[in-house]
Amino acid sequence: MPPGLDNLKHIVVLMMENRSFDHMLGSLTGVNPQIDGITNQLSNPDTTGAAVQPLPLAQFQGQLDPDPDHHFPAVDLQIFGGDTSPNRVANMQGFVKSYFNQQKDVGHSQKIMYYFAQNQLPVLTTLALEFAVFNRWFASIPGPTVCNRAFAHYGTSFGRVDMNLLYVNEPFKSIYDRLINATPKHTAKLYYYDTASSTMEITNLLQNQPELFGTYQQFLDDCKTGNLSDYSFVEPNYSDHDSDDGEEVASDQHPDHNVQAGELFIASIYHAIKQNANLWQSTALLIVYDEHGGIYDHVVPPACTPDQFQASPNDTGTGMPFAFDRLGVRVPAILISPWIPRGTIVSRVFDHASIPGTVTKFFLGDYSPRSPRETSADVFIEPNAPPVDPARNLLSLDIMRTDCPDFDV
Amino acid sequence: MALIHVPRPENAWNPNRPVNALLKAQILHLHDAELKLPVRQQTDIYINAIKTEGEATDYVRQVTEAIHAAHQAAAAKRARRAVKRTSKGKAKKKSTPKARQET
Repeated sequence: MPPGLDNLKHIVVLMMENRSFDHMLGSLTGVNPQIDGITNQLSNPDTTGAAVQPLPLAQFQGQLDPDPDHHFPAVDLQIFGGDTSPNRVANMQGFVKSYFNQQKDVGHSQKIMYYFAQNQLPVLTTLALEFAVFNRWFASIPGPTVCNRAFAHYGTSFGRVDMNLLYVNEPFKSIYDRLINATPKHTAKLYYYDTASSTMEITNLLQNQPELFGTYQQFLDDCKTGNLSDYSFVEPNYSDHDSDDGEEVASDQHPDHNVQAGELFIASIYHAIKQNANLWQSTALLIVYDEHGGIYDHVVPPACTPDQFQASPNDTGTGMPFAFDRLGVRVPAILISPWIPRGTIVSRVFDHASIPGTVTKFFLGDYSPRSPRETSADVFIEPNAPPVDPARNLLSLDIMRTDCPDFDV
Repeated sequence: MALIHVPRPENAWNPNRPVNALLKAQILHLHDAELKLPVRQQTDIYINAIKTEGEATDYVRQVTEAIHAAHQAAAAKRARRAVKRTSKGKAKKKSTPKARQET
């Protein structure tokens, strides 16, 4: 077995909010052309017909207000440019049009094309360049947060494409249920920031299995004491609020929350793992965003295996049904481990169903039943059993790196 | 590798910011969960009147803590019942041989 996989004991997933790949990491094409980001060939028409190019003018806060629409009909417009004909082809030409619909202000609508310069995001861009960055990680659904996050926990959204209450229908168990009920038993935890921020997993997990949950402070403590679960899912702080420690600034990076606060949060998660030498060598950390938040990305989401559910024309709000047979817009995703070669670029297709898919295959080998979407999703960590395909194994180094970056958190 | 500086956000904190769609959905989900709590553990907050992040987080905190408290209370009750059953079981076991002797 490759030593990286042999040593791997913990998988940690940090899921941030509502930013597209081009918006956050598109600048890195200038550093490495193999990273599929911003080029000067890209544009979107505004409502006057003028071509609007992506510009490195994104601001940390105050620019994407109102929150860009990213419900199913708006994302459909963003992906298909407003074409609703039966044989339409996705072209990623509707982002400016979609944002215009919210304020009817041509100038303001062009801000949806803005992206961050590399030096504005020292944490995310450093991690992307130092470890493995995914060129083709897509949201699971061309829609909003709740249904996309469901894919990360269950491998399906049970037919939902919206923000409404989502009830788990048998037989698909959460990744946490699979792990804690396995023989031999595994451990799993979902960390929310604090009780004032809580979690997006209220309906099915928090109100039924609160023992699965911990706070950000507990995550830090568990890292320090070496008590991290086999699998951990970390949620950022979703709101500005008071706490015993003072003013807590939202760190989820959801527009119009401050992007620098999210940078600091990402760095703190990385730092907490890296500070414990035993944990660092035995952990893989995935940083991924739940969906693009209505912000421009240029890569057409590919078709995928249909789920066994179908959303009705009424549910989608587009007048057309949806068979969960196309992925959502591309999002930033980075896999971190000292066993990953510097500057790794992954161009295979992934979506959030890859998260329970990977965790299941790595810790359990197999599990049934799983959703059609999950069983067909690619894995980002190879199963912990020989033979391992060296062309697919991202934790491929024979000797652990000692040159990994540190942040002053 | 050199230590990389992470800039701190300035003047970012604003609990008076209007709630976004994500927080609105979270409030609705928590409200659904709150209605299943024992009445004594429910809040008296009218969720349709929540307008700011500060107000939202006050509600989110109360319901999240109430969910944990309700489960802890149920677990404690379950444990008490188990102890009772065990002590009753022991008492029964002691009396069984006698009963057999009588028959």
